[in-house]
Amino acid sequence: MRTEGKLNLFVLIVVMCSLSVCGLAVWQDSGVGVGVRLLLAALMTAGVIWLSLNWLKLVGEITSIVSCFGQKQSARKNPKSLSDWLGLTGVDGISQVVNEQLNNNDGLTGKLKEQIRDLQIQIQLSQRQKNNTEAIIYSINDAVLVIDELDRVLMANGEAGKIFGFDFRNSRYKSIDDLISDNNSEHKEFVNFLRQSRQNKASHTRREIEFLIEDRMRSFDCIISCVYDSKEQISAVAAVLHDVTREKEISQMKNDFVSHVSHELKTPLASITAYSEMLVDGEADNEQTKKEFYGVIQSQAKRLNALIEDILNVSRIESGLIKVKKEPVSLTILIEEQLQMIKGFAEEKDIEVVGQNPIVFDQVYADKDMLQQVIVNLLSNAVKYTPAGGKVNIETEVDAIENLVRVSVIDTGVGIAEDEVEHVFDKFYRVEANKAQAKGTGLGLNLVKQIVEKVHSGKVFVKSQRGVGSTFGFELPLAGTNSEKVKSEMVRR
Amino acid sequence: MAGKKVLVVDDEIHIVHVVAIKLRNNGYDVTTACNGAEALELALQNKPDMVVTDFQMPVMTGLELIKQLRGNELTKDVPVVMLTARGFAIEDEQKEDLKISEFISKPFSPKELLRNIEDILYNNAVKNEDAEINVG
Repeated sequence: MRTEGKLNLFVLIVVMCSLSVCGLAVWQDSGVGVGVRLLLAALMTAGVIWLSLNWLKLVGEITSIVSCFGQKQSARKNPKSLSDWLGLTGVDGISQVVNEQLNNNDGLTGKLKEQIRDLQIQIQLSQRQKNNTEAIIYSINDAVLVIDELDRVLMANGEAGKIFGFDFRNSRYKSIDDLISDNNSEHKEFVNFLRQSRQNKASHTRREIEFLIEDRMRSFDCIISCVYDSKEQISAVAAVLHDVTREKEISQMKNDFVSHVSHELKTPLASITAYSEMLVDGEADNEQTKKEFYGVIQSQAKRLNALIEDILNVSRIESGLIKVKKEPVSLTILIEEQLQMIKGFAEEKDIEVVGQNPIVFDQVYADKDMLQQVIVNLLSNAVKYTPAGGKVNIETEVDAIENLVRVSVIDTGVGIAEDEVEHVFDKFYRVEANKAQAKGTGLGLNLVKQIVEKVHSGKVFVKSQRGVGSTFGFELPLAGTNSEKVKSEMVRR
Repeated sequence: MAGKKVLVVDDEIHIVHVVAIKLRNNGYDVTTACNGAEALELALQNKPDMVVTDFQMPVMTGLELIKQLRGNELTKDVPVVMLTARGFAIEDEQKEDLKISEFISKPFSPKELLRNIEDILYNNAVKNEDAEINVG
């Protein structure tokens, strides 16, 4: 209201001034006719009013434009009447409108800043999520490869690089065809599989594929998934390759184990069955023969029991349920006892067995029965896989610096191929080339490893050369060393 | 069938022994070997009327022994009984190719083994007689 009053007063003053000027013009006698002077005065007054009104209109328009600034288009309209102009005109009005608009703009800017901040947070979160996902993909053992609709590589982790022989850092957006070898039929088959899956729009396709990696054929369980964009078009194809070579080997080993165990169990059982039937049928016609038959039944029953014990022992040690009775044991004495036991078997095969065990402090804190089994297994293996006329040597040495005792069984036997040496302590593993040499379940060396490493915190070792011979052995901490006592307490009973 | 020569092959000494006693008690002339290579040598020296062999043996397996026997003119028609502790020793097709007369699973009954050997030898004898009559 205050603004309106000021404007009206301003207009009134302008009009009054105009009339005064006109009046002066009318009343001053300048020799011009009255009619002419009146006409001039009227024209001047009209001119002043017209100028004032135009000025007011101009101010009104400025005010209107300023007030419409930042508002809805529908609000941008001209004032309809003079009163409207009078109500809004004036410097204060403009100032007020401008201030109001500035205030509005401040609010708008604040909102925009808020939205920008939200967007920045979202970008940061997306980036973090992307980094996390990439870190997962790059750290997993499975190979991951993603190509786009034009066969360009979008992503490949280290494992994929190993399979296909390229480094993703230098291969991003390169065509997969340029990255794989033309001569590699397995790689080509894989790329064709990717294309087929894309063509068929299959959501999940699975196939087992084999690749030659570092001169070794490896099997992969390959799952291919199509990636769709917002228009439901396939934008990429992702392949995940899980190495199942080891699983297949284990499965094969288990099958072999069942086959071996069944054979090993059935053999003494066959003797027991056959000899008992002979006794029942009266085929043993004298006391001597009967006694012999009973003896066979008894020994074969013991053999059967020992085999079952072996299987159970491996299982018990693995599950940590075996009873361990540790005491100070002299390895030299223990080895001497076992040497006497094995010598008969070795002589039958014309193999010389020698022990070189100096009398020194070689006591270990161990389960005597278990350690006995370790030595027997190593010695009997050496004799079994050494041809007639060969030699088996068992050596003990004390490493005072490392506080351990080392036992080595050295033979001049058939030896083991380089690529098989690392597996000889695996459960159920039998060296393929030596299977015909002797029977076995593939449990003996695994039992040695379990007893030495799991129960006694020691370490097994093997060195071998095909056709030359093998050295199997183990290291155990000397009795009295702190580490052994601490570790022995940790063995579950 | 008394007096017929049977070669018994197994790396398990007790099995060889019990089969030998059972056959000898029933009038057979028994020779024994502890692996395929030794058995092949004995078979070629003195042709047996029947071979009873284990499947899995060191040095030379039972399967390899049969292949070697079938590849030699002297022993190509000798009937073979295979004793095996393996549930899935060989395919039927291979069994026919190698002319394996019978598979007997371990544990086995010596009585049944004897019965099988007698049947096979009897059938072979009848077949040979028929062949002789036809030739005559």
